[in-house]
Amino acid sequence: MKVARFVLAERDRVEQFVDELVDREHLVRDRPVSWTRVVFDTFDWRLHGHGSVLEHERAGARGQLVWRDRDTGEVLGRFELAEVPRFVWDLPPGPVTDRLAEVVEVRALLPLVTIEGTRTPLRLLDDESKTVARVVVDTATVQGGDSLPPVVEVQPVRGYERQARRLAGVLAAQVVLTPATCDLAETALRSAGFVPGSYSSKLRVQLDPHGTALEAWVTVLRTLLATMEANEAGVLDDLDSEFLHDYRVAVRRTRSVLGQARRVLPASVRDRFRVEFAWLGRETGPTRDFDVFLLEVPRFAARLPAERRPDLEPFRAFLERRQRAAHEALVEVLRSARYEAFLRDWRAFLDDPVVSPQEAPDAPRPATEVAADRIRRAYRRVVRDGRAIHDGSAPEELHELRKDAKKLRYALECYGSLFPAGEVAAVVKDLKGLQDVLGEYQDCQVQAGSLEHFAQEMLEEGTASAAVLITLGYLVEQLDEREAAARRAFEERFARFDAPEAHARMRALLRSGTRPEAA
Amino acid sequence: MKVLATYNIKGGVGKTATAVNLAYLAAAAGARVLVWDLDPQGAATFYFRIKPRVKGGGKALVRGRRDLDEVVKGTDYDNLDLVPADFSYRNLDLVLDAAPKPTRRLARVLEPVAAEYDYVILDCPPSISLASESVFEAADALLVPLIPTTLSMRTFDQLDDFLTRTRWRRPPAVLAFFSMVDARKRLHRELMAELRAARTDLLDTEIPSASDVERMGLHRAPVPAVAPRSRSAAAYRALWDEVRARL
Repeated sequence: MKVARFVLAERDRVEQFVDELVDREHLVRDRPVSWTRVVFDTFDWRLHGHGSVLEHERAGARGQLVWRDRDTGEVLGRFELAEVPRFVWDLPPGPVTDRLAEVVEVRALLPLVTIEGTRTPLRLLDDESKTVARVVVDTATVQGGDSLPPVVEVQPVRGYERQARRLAGVLAAQVVLTPATCDLAETALRSAGFVPGSYSSKLRVQLDPHGTALEAWVTVLRTLLATMEANEAGVLDDLDSEFLHDYRVAVRRTRSVLGQARRVLPASVRDRFRVEFAWLGRETGPTRDFDVFLLEVPRFAARLPAERRPDLEPFRAFLERRQRAAHEALVEVLRSARYEAFLRDWRAFLDDPVVSPQEAPDAPRPATEVAADRIRRAYRRVVRDGRAIHDGSAPEELHELRKDAKKLRYALECYGSLFPAGEVAAVVKDLKGLQDVLGEYQDCQVQAGSLEHFAQEMLEEGTASAAVLITLGYLVEQLDEREAAARRAFEERFARFDAPEAHARMRALLRSGTRPEAA
Repeated sequence: MKVLATYNIKGGVGKTATAVNLAYLAAAAGARVLVWDLDPQGAATFYFRIKPRVKGGGKALVRGRRDLDEVVKGTDYDNLDLVPADFSYRNLDLVLDAAPKPTRRLARVLEPVAAEYDYVILDCPPSISLASESVFEAADALLVPLIPTTLSMRTFDQLDDFLTRTRWRRPPAVLAFFSMVDARKRLHRELMAELRAARTDLLDTEIPSASDVERMGLHRAPVPAVAPRSRSAAAYRALWDEVRARL
């Protein structure tokens, strides 16, 4: 049985309501508790998306982090904590932390809204003085904001659902109560101006299949700019690594879209902004590289024998120092006059894209047609370059192929909404298998190279002991093995991507883009 | 899900107090915990103020005619549930004897709730029997309270002997610790020193013989819930930390 939740219409009738309920149902009234609750979620609403709520409640000397199902009210986990750490990995280790980590992953837990309230706990006892059902009445106010309507909850005790159901029935019949449509945390979030679920790192753009190519391109670019802007504050404060990651993905997607915007956007615009986005890609790179390594450290540690793990500590400290320095440099870039001018001009262009037909003959063409053309080109390129790869190919050729594949993926993601969703998904799936193996190949190679480079730097700094160097060497060896495995897997993955059935799926997608009924 | 069983061949050694207090502490720290009171005397059930009765009887449960899930009762504490004792458990050996693969039976019965709990604590009746074998098969670890008396030490040797003589699919870890310790008694101190010298695998924590543990029956509540700052509560906390580290 779920928690039964009701809203009491009049705030000033709480006392009277509780008194009457206690008398009539012979409930035990525990001491009222004043509490302060802070509702947490990640920037991209992972907890909300998961259908759960994470709140830190302070009541007297007690601090508790409670994770519960938003719909049923069932408690999924609970920690006695005075302060909530920014990251899940700093919570006390245990199964609850593991489960929460699956939802939140590397994202920071951000305090979003503070609610203050008073809880009146009531209990129904049986003849052994055992609690068989709970009724909780909460009156709350958003800190510095609205009073929330009082909430009355019937919380069942497992194995005694009958009693809770009966009480819920009693409450449902009360005219002063109405069933609550959402829980207190969500009400508070909305009252504080949040829109749960409003940000996602997935590109969410709906293009008009009847629109022009210019409209489509500008819509995608605007969405990407909005993503950059949404993440900027988090990048500057370095709240977690994902702000910069999402920011960089938006930069890369923009570069890719600009690259495919020949004849859609004027050359002058493309030339200027491609330079600026390339600059941003470069400037944001070093911080991201160190972020990635810092995130990898626990995984590296897991692959080491237990007695070698402490040797990774100096390396982690080195990475942290470098990450801080890189981030400081990045902050300067994002506060520079060049960045400011770039943002202003880019926004101005997207707000009012003036494009003459001479400069951009494809701009007025149907969006679907132009998008299909760009996807086709990107696709042909992947097929051509992939087929050229043989056992003796240089690593650079695979890296180029990885970039081609990424461009195709971005094109499918950016213009995908112009085509039937199912066909896009099928094509993306074909592509993903290839991208995974290319990604693994390059990541291992780049990481092994960086590790060697870092080891050299640590030596020069005098922070690398022999044990640290041996440990890093061990990791490089493992990366080399993984790289070799990825290289071996390439042929089979590419063959699957290059298979007649996969081509047929791509053809179906492109055809659906040019058929009039698809529009 | 980790399965722990509080167990001793001898009764009256603080077995149920261990099950109840450790379960409470684990749950208070956020883990989801189920106590299964397998002792027909139902002391754990009594401490949680729950009626000692399993819907359809314990037999139906053990035979697999009823899911464990259906008979679980919520205690008054967050994250902490109980399967009550049932008088029919006094015949558990007979029930098991009639079941196919009797020693695998309890492990089977626990399967449906594996995803729901982080810890299951079985509070077992004192004896060595078919039921205990079934417990040993299901458990990841046995929590064995030892009173520092000669007799109690002998039963520990018997348990050890039994565990080493029998072939297990996966033998449980044996986590033994001193219980009901009276540090003023010279005999207690001497016996403990002797056994610690012989058995280096004993846990460090010692649970003192204390009136707040005895008063559990009066309050019908775990010690750390009633007297969180007491010496006994601190001892159980230390014991739980040690047990968790060994799992």
